[in-house]
Formats: sequence, structure tokens, C-alpha cells
Amino acid sequence: MSRGVFAAALVVATLAALGFLVLPVVAIFTHVSPLTLASQLTNPVVDDALRVSAITSLEAQALVLLVGTPAAYLLARRRFRGRALLVALVELPLVLPPAVAGIGLLVAFGRFGLLGTGLPFTQLAVTVAVAFVSGPLYLRSAIAAFEAVDERLLDAARTLGAGPARRFLRVALPLAGGGLAAGEALALARGLGEFGATIMFAGSLQKVTQTLPLAIYAEFDVNFDVTLAISALLVLISAAILLSLKLASAWTLSLRRSGFRFAPSTST
Amino acid sequence: MRRLALLAAVAALVAVGTAEAAGRTPLTVYAASSLTNVFPQIDAQEHYSFAGSNTLAAQIEQGAPADVFASANMAIPLQLYAKGLVTKPVVFTRNALVLIVPASNPAAIHSVYDLRRPGIRLVVAAPTVPVGAYTLQVLQNMALTSVLSNVVSREADVRDVLAKVALGEADAGFVYSTDARTAQGRVRVIRIPAWAQPKVQYGVCVVKASAHRAQAQAWVARLLGRQAQAKLLAAGFLPRAKR
Repeated sequence: MSRGVFAAALVVATLAALGFLVLPVVAIFTHVSPLTLASQLTNPVVDDALRVSAITSLEAQALVLLVGTPAAYLLARRRFRGRALLVALVELPLVLPPAVAGIGLLVAFGRFGLLGTGLPFTQLAVTVAVAFVSGPLYLRSAIAAFEAVDERLLDAARTLGAGPARRFLRVALPLAGGGLAAGEALALARGLGEFGATIMFAGSLQKVTQTLPLAIYAEFDVNFDVTLAISALLVLISAAILLSLKLASAWTLSLRRSGFRFAPSTST
Repeated sequence: MRRLALLAAVAALVAVGTAEAAGRTPLTVYAASSLTNVFPQIDAQEHYSFAGSNTLAAQIEQGAPADVFASANMAIPLQLYAKGLVTKPVVFTRNALVLIVPASNPAAIHSVYDLRRPGIRLVVAAPTVPVGAYTLQVLQNMALTSVLSNVVSREADVRDVLAKVALGEADAGFVYSTDARTAQGRVRVIRIPAWAQPKVQYGVCVVKASAHRAQAQAWVARLLGRQAQAKLLAAGFLPRAKR
């Protein structure tokens, strides 16, 4: 193949990929007028779903951060037998089909499940489902971020008399901050889109368990404009998360280059 | 590249082979989820898509490649007919509603009136789903609409209601009597009095955009025929014409 043909093939493939990936997103905004979209946002279904999504996401991500951060720190800093297995287990929900997650949650926390709780159909069930599917995404990034923290800096802090908690809070946490924020952004985005596990484990009831993705499903045959409006809203939220992620990573990169604070070693 | 071409050729051959073995292309039948068990018994050749009739109708409106549409009510296919998307629907069977509780009956429900007790976890289908609308009619007929405050989830189709009750997560749910039969041993049936029963008629029609309209028409005719009707009766459906 001549060089020109190859270059052209690359361009064609890139254009095809771009068109394919962008077209559905654009279509959401062009199917009906932006005015119609905006007017549907005042629909009580959208309002209630937005509230449920916001509350459950907040709760789930607080849970993920509070439990996930120390857990990731331990998994990143300690070397012990079976660590690789443990990390793999923690990451497993990440690759599980959401429907499998839903079934798993039901037989674990359902009324006749392993733990036998009355969780299903409550708003807390949505939070649990969101935490279950989004937590591993954060854990994965957080473990990598803590692993990238230069061991020598933690050692130096210890020789200066800092205890383990202080070393975690004052050295490891700020240095891993960029990676933690990126992981959390991804977890938030994944959690907001949670559908399969939620509908199986928590059911769908407006004002209680009906999140934005569930509302899209429920309104699909009722009012197509509402489904489009919610979809557009989720596109905007997801784009905002992605944008902040890009900005944050650009910011941490520039921090590293400028040598501000303790520059972590780049050999990760 | 050559391997890819070979693969494609093999795939094409296999596709041709199976179509020839069947003697014709299988129809795509969109059917209410309450027909999930009985339709493949009537005819195992076709491709079925089971879901809430309302969901299927929305998909047909969006141009889904269905040949036949079988709905758990007449209202939805009549709406599609009014829009010129399907042929005039005909009633092909009927059904009745029942209340089901898990076999263990955790909330000790023995009659529809027990649903009034606060704290019961009642699962119903969304009101846009035929069985959800029928459920509302039953509750209205029995002056029991207040029990709707015990609803913990509005499901997308009747099978989702059945699953949540059979699993024991919900205390009770309204389904068709034919669905309850498919979960024998896992659910208990509580009858709904005849005077409170809604008129549950299933409508079937041919999708006008179908590429196999004649074949689809013949399929509908067979569904109204004696053999198919006998299978429907055996599955617990009611005769299409009231006797």
C-alpha cells in the first residue's frame, strides 16, 4: 500500500468513527426544537427524577469516597499475599453486566437474600445500587493514584515525625488528589447513568426510586419529548463531568511540571 | 483480509442454509409479555419480541421491523390503526386479572381487601401498560383506589410484577391469571370477583410497513384458528368470544 492510500485510510476511519459516535448525541438535540426540550424540563416527572438522581448520587458518592479512599490507600501501600486477588475482586463489579449486579444485590440484600434486609423498593436501595456499580471505578483510579505517590516522600515525612494518619492526610492525599478527583468524576458519571441494577433491585416509583435513566425508560412510550429532554439533560451533565475531568488533569499536569509542592516522581 | 472474506462467505452460506431449512423467512412478532410462554408453544418458528404492549407500540411508531403486533388490550392497536400503522386489530383471546402473593405470603394477605393495611409492599405495572390500566379498573370497581398508597414500584410489564412477587420482595401484585400459572409453587393466587373484573381483550394486527404482509396475515388467521385457540385455552386464556 502506498503511503498516500494509508494516510487517506486513516482519515476515512477517523471520520467514520467520529460521525458514528457523535451522530446519536447530536440527534438528541435536533429531533425536536430546543424550545420543546427546555419546556419539558419543567415536567414534574423530570423534576422528581432529577431530585432522586441528585440525592442518591450524593449519598452513594459520599459513601464511595469515605470508604473507598482509605481502602484504596491500604490496597496501594501494603504488599501482602493475595493482594492481586483482592484488587481483582474489588474491580469485578466494574465488568459485570448491570443486570447481574441487580440480581446479585437482590439475593444479597433482598428480603430472602443472604443478609435479608428490607432494602428493595426504598430510595436507599438506589443508593446502594449506584455505589455498587460506581465504587469500583473510583477504587481503581484511587489505588493507581496512591501507588503513584513517591514512597520516599512518605518516608521523609515519617523521619520528620509524622504519624501514619498524618502521612495519609498531609502527604499521600494531596499528592494523589488529581487521580482521586478523576476517579470520582468517572464514578459519578457512571452512577448517574445506572439503570439495570436499579430497576431490578429498587424498582421504579416516581419521587422515590425513579432516577433520570429510569424516567427515560418509563416515559419512552408516554411522552417521547420528555425522554428526549431527560436525555439531553444527561448529555449536558456528562459533558460537564468530562470537561471538568479534562481541566483537572490538565491542571495537575501543569502543577507537576511547575514543580509545585512535592512533585511526585513521574516513573509510575 | 482474506480470512475476513472467508468468514463472511461462510456466514452468508449458513444464513441461506437456515432460511432454506425453514422454507421461508421467520416473521417478527411483537407480543405482550403475558404471551411469553404461549406464543412459542403455538408456533416456535417465528422471532418473538415480548414486552409491555405500550413499549412495543412505541417501538413500532419509531419504525421497528415488526410484522405482527399482539397487544394485551384493544386500545393500543386501535391507536396504531388510527395512525395508519397497522391493519384493523381483531380480538384473538381474553384474560382475567388475579392478585398474587409470594408462596410464603409474608404479609398474610388473603383477600384484595387486605391490601388496605398500611406498610404492604404492593407492586403494580405502570398505568400505561395494559395490565396496569386493568389493575386501576379493578381497584376502582372495588372502591379500593386508596391501596395505591402502598405501591412501592410501577413495573414496565406484567412479567416484572410477577418476578418481584415470585422472588418474595413484594408482598402482592396484580397479574393475569395466565402469568400466575407460569409461576406455580412460587406464588399464591387470590381471585378477583367476576363483578370487579375488567374487560381484558387481546388484539392482533399486521404492521403495514411489514415486508411480509401476506405471510403475516396468514399467521394472524392461524392464530384465530382452532389449533392455536386450543393452545391458548390450555394455557389458561379465555375464549375470544364470550359464551
